Amino acid sequence: MDSFVSLFHGLFIALQPGNVVYCLIGTLVGTLIGVLPGIGPLSAIAILLPITFYLEPVSALIMLAGIYYGAQYGGSTSAILINIPGENSSVVTCLDGHQMARRGRAGSALAVAALASLFAGIFATIVITLFAPPVSRLALMFGPAEYFSLMVLGLIAAIVLAHGSVLKALGMILLGLLLGCVGTDVASGSLRMALGIPELFDGIGFIPLAMGLFGVGEIIRNIENEHHQSVLEARVRNLWPSAEEFRRAWPAATRGTLIGSVLGILPGGGAMLSSFAAYTIEKKISKEPGRFGKGAVEGVAAPEAANNAGAQTSFIPLLTLGIPSNAMMALMAGALLIHGIQPGPRVITNNPEIFWGLIASMLVGNALLVVINLPLIGIWTQLLRVPYHLFYPMILVFCCIGVYTVNSSVLDVMLLMIFGFFGYMFIKWQCEPAPLLLAFILGPLMEENLRRAMEVSYGDPAIFVTRPISAVLLIAAAGCLVLVLLPAFQRTREVAFQDES
Amino acid sequence: MSRIKNPNDVMVGIVLVAIAVFALILAWHLNVGTVDAMGPGFFPRMLAFIEIGLGLAIIGQGLVTEGEPFERWFPRQIFFVLASIAFFALTIDRLGVVIAVVGMVFVACLARRQTRFHEAALVAVGMAVFIVLVFRVGLGLPMRVWPMGNVY
Repeated sequence: MDSFVSLFHGLFIALQPGNVVYCLIGTLVGTLIGVLPGIGPLSAIAILLPITFYLEPVSALIMLAGIYYGAQYGGSTSAILINIPGENSSVVTCLDGHQMARRGRAGSALAVAALASLFAGIFATIVITLFAPPVSRLALMFGPAEYFSLMVLGLIAAIVLAHGSVLKALGMILLGLLLGCVGTDVASGSLRMALGIPELFDGIGFIPLAMGLFGVGEIIRNIENEHHQSVLEARVRNLWPSAEEFRRAWPAATRGTLIGSVLGILPGGGAMLSSFAAYTIEKKISKEPGRFGKGAVEGVAAPEAANNAGAQTSFIPLLTLGIPSNAMMALMAGALLIHGIQPGPRVITNNPEIFWGLIASMLVGNALLVVINLPLIGIWTQLLRVPYHLFYPMILVFCCIGVYTVNSSVLDVMLLMIFGFFGYMFIKWQCEPAPLLLAFILGPLMEENLRRAMEVSYGDPAIFVTRPISAVLLIAAAGCLVLVLLPAFQRTREVAFQDES
Repeated sequence: MSRIKNPNDVMVGIVLVAIAVFALILAWHLNVGTVDAMGPGFFPRMLAFIEIGLGLAIIGQGLVTEGEPFERWFPRQIFFVLASIAFFALTIDRLGVVIAVVGMVFVACLARRQTRFHEAALVAVGMAVFIVLVFRVGLGLPMRVWPMGNVY
């Protein structure tokens, strides 16, 4: 019950006028970038990170989280209306959502998506309230060996659930860890791989790295293939689902919520995985699978509930263990670190106002989102007409100004350019850069814990397998790696991700 | 080229090996220490060696398993987008934010042949005004507005 008292206290923080405003800004921006194809929540948050530097930490996180789950709402709008997913986790919503729109049920599809998301959002908040405190108490018992093994598991699991070649993902992780080494070594004070550049003595900036890889790389990618979108001209009328649609949608939304809540917690999980899994399962258990792809309302309700639930519960590993489970959470970790807060089990005890304020703001945000999305749907459909060729120079300006103002550093802007090129290069060579960012955030922590563990054990690496929790974590990591290399699993994995490419 | 089955993997592998070798050279002089008291060089060197191994494995994978051909690169888009960032970096400290922003918008717009001059001008001026108002006047961040202006 204590947790709910704390949640109530968090609600008090989240409802302070300033925080409501940031929550509103976050959810508005999230909806906006969710609606607009071509800019996803990852690049948007990377671009907005520098601005959060000037906010209170709790306001900053409330805003960034709002962008993340707001994008899940917005993404469904463009998926349903123009058959283009506004962002990755809405890919499956296109399948049935757009078919519903073609049959004149656009309003109903939008309403089902928004209400399923609202339900999932509230449920996921309760899941976080119940599960986060015990997990963080468990994590407080972890020593350096356990932490190191946990991070190994986190990085390996992220590969399993990502798509593409396992080896390349491992290569990206190592690259991220190497980039994380640049700068002053904390333990000895000696400079490492800084090329004698004073600006690099503190390490490579997280912001230029994230923004370059995900922002700039994507922009170049987007302007080279201009696709002309056809906006569905039909007016969105009658937002209310029929009784029949409602009857079919609510069990699907419930199942989607449960799937999303579980998959969001897993390392490597999050919104995208959840929506794919929910759609597949919904189709499997349906008595009439033939209806899917032709406008089945379950095919909208389940993935939309799942992606919102997954987006929210993926905060659990970050805020309790300090392990970001996907690239989005790595950005959130970056936002916390900018404010000098180390994500991990101590956040709940040392910064309860941040933890509970953020969790409670999700309730506020989800309520705001239903208002933003349903009655104001007309505004968002208008926005789909803004041409991208006027939009991308503005995004570039925000990237540059954002990077520059953090440290007034020209070098950071040059790094932005270099990492932008790398981001583009990796996209072109079919190599996902997300694991790199995860590893970059975890790298310094991993090294520190490795060194401490080895000191404690007088140089005996057996410490990682003789301590039970550490051994279990490493076995799980090895299991993941074996699993992903098994031919049978590889086939399933390809099938699961084929819709996406 | 026809003998390489997955050129994408081969390129990624080569780049990773190159970066790892570069890192190894940079980190070579650092003290490795012992296993129970690791020096600053231990972790980077270990990572670089693993990365070289992985890079070679990726090249190997690209040589034996079938993959997709190279996607087309678009030099014009790459060049002007990156050039616009470079323009900003080179001008912001000396010439101020107005010139930096206006200039970079024009350079960025060159990435797309069909964008008309008046469109670019509109975005450029709009962004410059917006940035100065929000970041300099509103948030009071230190940056030069005009070439001779004050930073603070």
